[in-house]
Amino acid sequence: MMMLTLAWITLPLFVGFSIYLLPKLARVLAVAVSLVSLAYGLWHVVYSDPVVLSLVDSFGVSLLVDQLSGFFVLTNAVVTAAVVLYCWQSDKSAFFYTQAIILHGSVNSVFICADLISVYVALEVIGIAAFLLIAYPRTNRAVWVGLRYLFVSNTAMLFYLLGTVLVYQANHSFAFTALVGAPVEAIALIFLGLLSKGGIFVSGLWLPPTHGEAESPVSALLSGVVVKAGVFPLLRFSLMMPEFDPVVRFFGVTTALFGVSFAVFAVDTKRILAWSTVSQLGLILAAPMVGGFYALTHGLAKASLFLTVGKLPSRDIEILKSNQIATKLWIALAMASLSISGLPLFSGFGAKVLTGDNLLPWQTVWLNIATLGTTILFAKFIFLPHTHGKQSVEMVDNSSAELSGFWLSIGLLIGGLVLANVFYLEAYTFKNIAKPLITLALGWLIYWLLFQNLSIKLPRVAEQFDNLIGAMSLVLIFLFWMVMA
Amino acid sequence: MFTLEALLLATVFCGFFGIIWKKNLMMKIISMDVMSTGVIAFYVLVAAHTGLFTPIAIPGSRADVAYADPVPQAVILTAIVIGFSIQALMLVGVMKLSRDNPTLECREIERNNS
Repeated sequence: MMMLTLAWITLPLFVGFSIYLLPKLARVLAVAVSLVSLAYGLWHVVYSDPVVLSLVDSFGVSLLVDQLSGFFVLTNAVVTAAVVLYCWQSDKSAFFYTQAIILHGSVNSVFICADLISVYVALEVIGIAAFLLIAYPRTNRAVWVGLRYLFVSNTAMLFYLLGTVLVYQANHSFAFTALVGAPVEAIALIFLGLLSKGGIFVSGLWLPPTHGEAESPVSALLSGVVVKAGVFPLLRFSLMMPEFDPVVRFFGVTTALFGVSFAVFAVDTKRILAWSTVSQLGLILAAPMVGGFYALTHGLAKASLFLTVGKLPSRDIEILKSNQIATKLWIALAMASLSISGLPLFSGFGAKVLTGDNLLPWQTVWLNIATLGTTILFAKFIFLPHTHGKQSVEMVDNSSAELSGFWLSIGLLIGGLVLANVFYLEAYTFKNIAKPLITLALGWLIYWLLFQNLSIKLPRVAEQFDNLIGAMSLVLIFLFWMVMA
Repeated sequence: MFTLEALLLATVFCGFFGIIWKKNLMMKIISMDVMSTGVIAFYVLVAAHTGLFTPIAIPGSRADVAYADPVPQAVILTAIVIGFSIQALMLVGVMKLSRDNPTLECREIERNNS
């Protein structure tokens, strides 16, 4: 098992660089790598024997692969495969696929690392690869958005690094478990780094503009898997060390509410999705035990939403409302939206039930509000007008060749959403089915009564670059105070 | 030891506030470098807690020498390389942006690109 794990984790790096030498095979190799990850992730989800490896020596790299990692690896594999299929007929160069596969590999390594330094290295590699993907179009705007991202993530990681050395100073170890006896400031700094990287709460204000401005396939990758790399170590902390559980759950609830309250007022489709990502990350953190399954269903649904929205004629929801979109696209949008909203038959439902069962009493009310908010904001997509005929607005790229790749990737993602039901079939009881249906009905009612014609422009001052970095200092003080308490 | 620690933390925060308050993008990147210098130096300081002697074992060397702790040094080497490559990448981005925004004012770039 050890050799297999090592071969699997180094494969994306080897393949990533060889893609650059064999540009003709770029897409085939990229899909092959994600299929290998798919098999590996699935194996760990089904046979949940944890694999613990510690390489070199006591100060070396330690790895831990269990069911939780399995779910995250699975998400990463499916989303990467879908994105590569989506780009299959586009004129993306080998450079794009190289970065995508290196990103895939580094995200995978976060999901199996069990020591602070390996996580640091993997997160930094993710930052670099994600920057190169965001800046791929080479326009000023893309470069600026990428630069902002790199700035925020690198500053966050510097704080993380400072926290790590304090942990080492106290306990002479870099293992996750060394956090237990570590000083307060070390814990606060490490949490700050991970919260910023994962786009949680106020330190996650960088996420909507970044995910909103990137190209659709890149947004799908970022929202589907990359942010989860910041969240995953927090889940691990909370599961390994019960004393961090309340902190993680608290941030989960606040983020879920924070994200959803911005999302319901947004008018730009990609920003709605990005804000919803913030809120869904909160739901992953709110119940750390079952975060893996939730991450899988969210990753698949969000990636397919981002890919579909990229094919719509406009990004402004008001313009979309007054025009008619093609029914085929609408079906894809509606299926993914219904899954995130928690409709039975899609695995989003199972994930919601499972999360609901693992909440603490004080969380339940707040997360029900967040879930209701989610149904309201996805009603915006579900109730878009659509038509079969020729009068529908032409799709952005109408060449049928390019569309076949698109439908293949959407088919993969939606098919994954339906198939993932097998992981938790026990969810289908009468009581469980009734609750999301009532929530959906209530959410849609509120949407029709209140939100349909509502337009409030929220200021975007908080998303200015200086304020993003400034928000970090606020979160640091807050964390410090929280861990002390 | 305590003074050194305080000075290094001050360096980190100088860099951090430089990122926020400096208006020019170039200066922001340099501030980030200051911040990372502070963090790196902190690792070196932690390594020196046990002693200052370079931790290389030579046959016949004495065992009672106060060696520096090699682990933080080894770890920070990785971080230095990563930090410098990110710096290089950012500077390339800035070169690209400077063609249309010669002053590199951060506010200005933000206004032109959103």
